[in-house]
Amino acid sequence: MMEKKEIYVLSAKQISVQQPLCEDWMSQPIEYQQPFNRSIDPSFKDYISPIEARRMGKILKRAIATSKEALKASGLETVDAIITGTGYGCIENTEFFLDALSKDGEQMLSPTYFMQSTHNTISSIVAIQMKNHGYNVTYAHKGTSFDSALQDAVLQLRLGKISSALVGGHDEMTETFYNILKKGGMMGHDDEMCGEAAVSVVVGARNDDYLCKILDFKMLHKPTIERLKAMAAKFKADFILTGISGDHKSDEAYIAEAKELFGDAKLLKYKHLFGESFTSSGLGFYVAAQCLKAGKIPAHLFVNPKDITDKKPSKILIFNHSDGTNYSLTLLEA
Amino acid sequence: MDELIYTLKQQIIEALNLEDMKPEDIDDNASLFGEGLGLDSIDALELIVMMEKNYGIKLKDPTQGKEIFKSVAVMADFIAKNRTK
Repeated sequence: MMEKKEIYVLSAKQISVQQPLCEDWMSQPIEYQQPFNRSIDPSFKDYISPIEARRMGKILKRAIATSKEALKASGLETVDAIITGTGYGCIENTEFFLDALSKDGEQMLSPTYFMQSTHNTISSIVAIQMKNHGYNVTYAHKGTSFDSALQDAVLQLRLGKISSALVGGHDEMTETFYNILKKGGMMGHDDEMCGEAAVSVVVGARNDDYLCKILDFKMLHKPTIERLKAMAAKFKADFILTGISGDHKSDEAYIAEAKELFGDAKLLKYKHLFGESFTSSGLGFYVAAQCLKAGKIPAHLFVNPKDITDKKPSKILIFNHSDGTNYSLTLLEA
Repeated sequence: MDELIYTLKQQIIEALNLEDMKPEDIDDNASLFGEGLGLDSIDALELIVMMEKNYGIKLKDPTQGKEIFKSVAVMADFIAKNRTK
């Protein structure tokens, strides 16, 4: 039997509604009172020349900044693959394009908004910026887009087809898009806060300053409870990072299911800080990896205050699901 | 003509998303492409769309663009002579 190759998370960077490109959220999280929030952007001039940046939407600038920072922190000069997950791609440019189409008709459309309204623009622009000619793929699978991108990287790393990958999770949220999602009952329930996600992680062979190890990873489509229980028994951890979002009805079911599957394991949350978006599971991955690296879990991440502990985490399981249909389990180890 | 040149500069800045630029920063006679503003072929497409939208000018021959987009002054002169709105 072929021996499984070990996979490490070498770096992870984010731009979100928390302070960008840093881990300030661990000690000084920003709290929001309103449900709609956009990310806090860094100065993009440090990453892209103004002449190049002028045609780019926010999602592209954020992807470039997080990717460049993640690559720098990984210590690698380049990666073998750039794999991106995005639920809705460059939605802001799509809006500009559709808005112009409805106002001015088909004859006078801006080529820039059209060119940069597709999902795979993100992965390709990161590759262009990094002068990377390797494997380049985009997964647009709504709530499991980041997980699908990670799965691709993990499978290829295990098979030895690649030795490193830059995995991204990128989504933006405009006010119009948020209102449409809210009207459709897809977002904005109860205390749920929406956010935007820009996460870039480099995975590959161990380096001197890695964040954590990916011990196991599995995606499941419409699993039975028996199948989930069998997986939960295999993916054992003291801490379970859940996607509890502030949607009371959904959270109740989520917590009940997590308790049934994982028993006494302590439940954690992150969406109250980073918000809900189609690739927020990428932010969950980032949060878990940084907690393992730091050797501590901030008190504000615990679902139940009684569970708060100073215990150094050795393993964190990220338990994500999208609409109760597609599940992913990612087991990380310090 | 001066008013048209100023308005045109504002429209170029908006259409091409030249964020840090003001109309005063663009020389009336400086080349728009190459060494001047450093615009490229996608910008040329944006300018064609902008002229049609704002002035009702539809370029029948795309190669005309090379002459028309030489500078803001040349562009303004062409617009003044050919505009339909």
